[in-house]
Amino acid sequence: MLTLLVLTPLLGAVVVSLIPARRGELHMPLGMALSVAPLGVAGAVFFSFDKGEASFQMVEKVVWWEPWGIAWHLGVDGISLGLVALTTLLFPLSLAASDSITHRRKAFVVAMLFLETGLIGSFLALDLVVFFVFFEVILVPMYLIIGIWGGERRVYAAVKFFIYTALGSALLLAAIIALAVIHASQTVGGALSFDFPTLLALDISPTAQMWLFGAFALAFAIKVPLFPFHTWLPDAHVEAPTAGSVLLAGVLLKLGTYGLLRFNLTLFPEATVSLVPVLAGLAVVGIIYGAVVAIVQPDLKKLVAYSSVSHLGFVVLGIFALTSAGLQGAVIQNVNHGLTTGALFLLVGMLYDRRHTKKIADFGGLAGRVPLMAGFFLFMAFASIGLPGLNGFVGEFLVLVGSFPSLPAFAVVAAFGVVLAAIYMLWAYQRVFTGPLTGTANRKLVDLSPKETAILAPLAVLVLLLGLYPGILLDRTAPSVEAILDRIEQTTDYEAPSPSRLADVFVSASEDEDR
Amino acid sequence: MSPSAFPDIAWGGLAPELVMVIGAVALLLGDVQLKPSVKALWRSTLVILVIALGLGVWQWVVTEPAGEMAFGGMLIFDPSAALARLVVVVVSILAILSGRSLFFHLGNRAAEGLALVLLASAGFVLMAASQNLVMMFLGLEMGSISLYILAGITGDGVRSDEAALKYLLLGAVASAVFIYGAALVFAGTGSLGLAEVGSFLTRYLLLSPAVLLIGIGLITVGLSFKVAAAPFHVWAPDVYQGAPAGIVGYMAAVAKVGGFAALARVLLSGFGTFRADWALVVGGVAALSMLVGAVMAIISVDIRRLLAYSGVAHAGFILTGLASGSPGSPSVWFYLTVYTVQLVAAFAVISALGGAAASGSPLSDYRGLYRRSPFLAVALSVALLGMAGLPLTSGFVAKLGVFLQAWRGGLEWLVIVAVLASAVAIYLYLRVIVTMYMQSPTTDDALRCDRPTFWALGAATAVTVVLGVFPQPLLTLVESAVYL
Repeated sequence: MLTLLVLTPLLGAVVVSLIPARRGELHMPLGMALSVAPLGVAGAVFFSFDKGEASFQMVEKVVWWEPWGIAWHLGVDGISLGLVALTTLLFPLSLAASDSITHRRKAFVVAMLFLETGLIGSFLALDLVVFFVFFEVILVPMYLIIGIWGGERRVYAAVKFFIYTALGSALLLAAIIALAVIHASQTVGGALSFDFPTLLALDISPTAQMWLFGAFALAFAIKVPLFPFHTWLPDAHVEAPTAGSVLLAGVLLKLGTYGLLRFNLTLFPEATVSLVPVLAGLAVVGIIYGAVVAIVQPDLKKLVAYSSVSHLGFVVLGIFALTSAGLQGAVIQNVNHGLTTGALFLLVGMLYDRRHTKKIADFGGLAGRVPLMAGFFLFMAFASIGLPGLNGFVGEFLVLVGSFPSLPAFAVVAAFGVVLAAIYMLWAYQRVFTGPLTGTANRKLVDLSPKETAILAPLAVLVLLLGLYPGILLDRTAPSVEAILDRIEQTTDYEAPSPSRLADVFVSASEDEDR
Repeated sequence: MSPSAFPDIAWGGLAPELVMVIGAVALLLGDVQLKPSVKALWRSTLVILVIALGLGVWQWVVTEPAGEMAFGGMLIFDPSAALARLVVVVVSILAILSGRSLFFHLGNRAAEGLALVLLASAGFVLMAASQNLVMMFLGLEMGSISLYILAGITGDGVRSDEAALKYLLLGAVASAVFIYGAALVFAGTGSLGLAEVGSFLTRYLLLSPAVLLIGIGLITVGLSFKVAAAPFHVWAPDVYQGAPAGIVGYMAAVAKVGGFAALARVLLSGFGTFRADWALVVGGVAALSMLVGAVMAIISVDIRRLLAYSGVAHAGFILTGLASGSPGSPSVWFYLTVYTVQLVAAFAVISALGGAAASGSPLSDYRGLYRRSPFLAVALSVALLGMAGLPLTSGFVAKLGVFLQAWRGGLEWLVIVAVLASAVAIYLYLRVIVTMYMQSPTTDDALRCDRPTFWALGAATAVTVVLGVFPQPLLTLVESAVYL
C-alpha cells in the first residue's frame, strides 16, 4: 500500500508527460485528477492506521542495492502519518490554484507530481539511503518550479534555494555513510546497513553522536529553516508561484522538523539531551526574530514567509522540550502550519492574480469589495495566531505547556511569539482589508470564485476540526511520540519532567468522545 | 629445449585488441587502395568495434579471465582488465556514433581519424592490462600519441593546433616522468613486473626505501597527468576547449579509463604494502583535485572548460575511492564506467550544438536550448545531473560507492572534503541547466541532431537513469572486477 502511495504520483507524472503538448488544456485538469488518487490512498492509510501501535505499520521491505545492504523499506507511524495526509491534500489544492500558470503547463504538472512522489517517499522511507534519495531529489522539481514559473528574481531565488539545501544535505550523506560503517564495525561479518530500525540498535560513542547529530541537524536546520539558516526562505517564497509557496511552506519545510524528530532524537539520544539548549535557543531566537521581521514586511507574501520561520521555531522548541506534550505539540503543529500557512499563501496568490501586486501598501479596505476573501483571510490569520478553537491553538499551547517544565525560560520568551503573531497578522489584515477602500484598481476587485472557495473550504474545515477535535490526530501520534521519549529516557539518564503528561488529558478527553 | 622456440602467445586473450589494431591498419590500407566513402569507413569502424565488444563480452562471460599472464608476464588477463576493455570499447562506440559528422568533415582524412580512435582504444586497454611498467608505458604512449593527433586532426584553426601542441608537449613530459619513475622502481626492487615488485616488497623489508618511494611518486605524477588530477591538470581546459568537439568526450573518457586502471593496478597490486605511504599523497591529490576542479569550473564561461575542470573534480572523486586501498576497488570501476558514459554524452550534445569540428563552446550558446531542442537539453541535463551526483542518476550511486569505500578505508576527512566539493560542484552543473531552461534563446532555430547521435545520446541517457535506480547489475559486475 505504501509503495502504491509513493508511486501513484509518479505514474501520474508519466501519464501527463505522455499527453502531447498541443493538448495544453488537458494537462492541468488531468494532473489534478491524478493527484486525487494519492489522496485516496493516503485516506485509506490514515483510517486503517492502528491507533494503539507505536512502531512502524504497513511495513514493506525489498532488497534494492544488494552489496551495500540498501533496501526499499517503507513504513508509517504516528509521526509521519499526519504529514503524509497533509502532503496528499495540498497537492490537488495547489494544482487547482495554479490557473495563473500559463506557459509550459505540462512541465509544471509533471514537476508537481514528481515533487509529490519525492515528498511522500521522504516521509515513508525507513532506509537512510532511500530517505536521502527522496530528500535530495525533491530539490530538482522544486528548483524548476521556482526557477521557471516564479517571479522576477526567480532564477536567483531558485539557485539560492538549491545551493543552500544541497550544502546542508552534503554532510548528511557523510553522516549516513558513517552510520553504515559504524554498523559494519559492530556486526559480525562487517555488513553495511542503512536500515533505520537496525541502526537504532547501534552503540555510538558520545563524541561520534555529537558529530553525527551535528551533520544531521545542519541538513534539517537549513530545511526548517532554523535561525540563522533561514535566509534562503524569504527569497524562495516570494519568487515561487503560489503552488510552489504552498508546498514549500506546507510540506517541504516539514521535512526539516520531521528529520529532527525522526532521526536526530532517536539515533543520537545522548547528543540530543546535551544539545537541547543550543537547538531550543535557536528555535526561540527564530520565533521572536521571525515574528519581529514579519511585522515590518511591506510585502504580504514575505510577511507570511517570515511568519513560517516563527511558527516552525515553535515546532523545533516542542521537539527539544523532550516532553510528551512538547513532542505532541510539535507533531500536530507541523500539520497545522501546513494547513494555515498553505491557505494564507493561497489567499495571497489569489490576491496577486487579481492585482499583480503583493505590497501591503497597495491595498486597503478590501473587505467591503471581497468579503469572502477577507473572511477566509481573517479565519486563517486567527488560526495562525493560535485562537482557541482553531488548530493553531492546540499546537502552540501544547508546545508551550510541554516546554515550560523542562525549559521554563525558553517557554516564557517563546510565549511572546504568540503576542507578536497577533500583531503582525492582525495589523496586516487591518491594512489590507479594513478602513476605507483605496485605489481605483482595488475597486474593481472581484470576490472568490466558487472554485477558489472550494479550494479554501477543505482547509478551513480541517483547521476547525483539528481545533475542536485534535484527538483525531493526537490519538494516532501519541504512541509513537511516547516511544521516542521512552527511548531517550532508557538510553540516557534524562528524565522527562512529570507535568508533561498534561497532554494525556487532551488525548484521553478525546478518546472519551470517541466512545 | 629448443633455442629458437616460438614464444607462446595468448592470441585469444588479446583478440579484441588485435581486432582493433588490425582493423585500424586495414582502414588505412583500404583507404589508400579502394578509396571508399567516408560512410563505408565509418561503418566498418563501428563493425570492428562491435566485434571487439563481442569478443570482450565473450572473454568476460565464457573464458572467465583468471589472471593468466601472457607475453612473459607483460600482460595479465584478469577481470579488471576485461572490464576496462568493455568500458573503453563501449565509450568508443558511443563516440564513433555521436562523432559521425566530425569524420564526414574530415573528408579524405576520415580513415586516419577512425584508425587513430581504434589505436588509442587498443592502447589504453593494453595499458589497463599491463603487468609490467614498460608494457604500461607502451600502452600509454600508443594511446596518448593517437590522442595528440586526434586533438589537432582538423588542422583548421589556431585553437585546435594549440590544443594538440600543448597536449603533446605536456604529455611527453608526463610520459618522461612516468618512465623515470619506472626506472627508479627498477633500481629499488630489481624488477619492472608489478607482481614481482609486489612479492619482493612483501618478502623483504627495505631499510631505505627512498629511491622506491620517489619512483612510486613519479609514476603517480605521470599517471595523474593523464587523468587530469590537480595539480597536473593545467593542460585539460585548453585541450578540451581547442580540440574538435566531436572527439573531446572520447579523448577525455578513454584517457581516464586507461590512466585510472593503470594507477589502480600499480598502487594496489604493485605497491599495496606501501599503502600507508601513498594513501596520504593520493588522498591529498584527490582533495586538491576536487576543490580546484569545483572552484575553477564555477568561474568558467565556456562549457568545455567547465567540463574539463569538472573532470578534474571527478578525477579527485575517483582517487578518493582509490586512496582507500580496497582490493579491486569496485567503486572506482563503477564510477569510471558511469562517468565516462556521461562525459561522452555531454560532449555529444556539445558537438551537435556547436558543430563537430568546432573549437570552443561558450556557455551563452546554450541559452534557451530547451526551446530549440528539448531532446538535446534533456540529454545534457541528465548527463550533468549524473555528474553532479544527484540521486536517481548513476552518478549518485557512484559517489556513494567511493565515499563508502573511502570511509571504510579510514579516510573520513577525505569523504568530508568530497561531500562538500560535490555540493559546490552542483552549482556549476546547475548553471548550465539554468542557461538551457530559464534563459531566452538568442535564436529560435530548431536544432536537430543526426540519427547516430540521437541513438548514442538516448542510450547514454537511459544508462545514466536506469543505473541510478537499479544499479544492481553493474554493482555486481564491478564487484567481480578484481585485480589479480
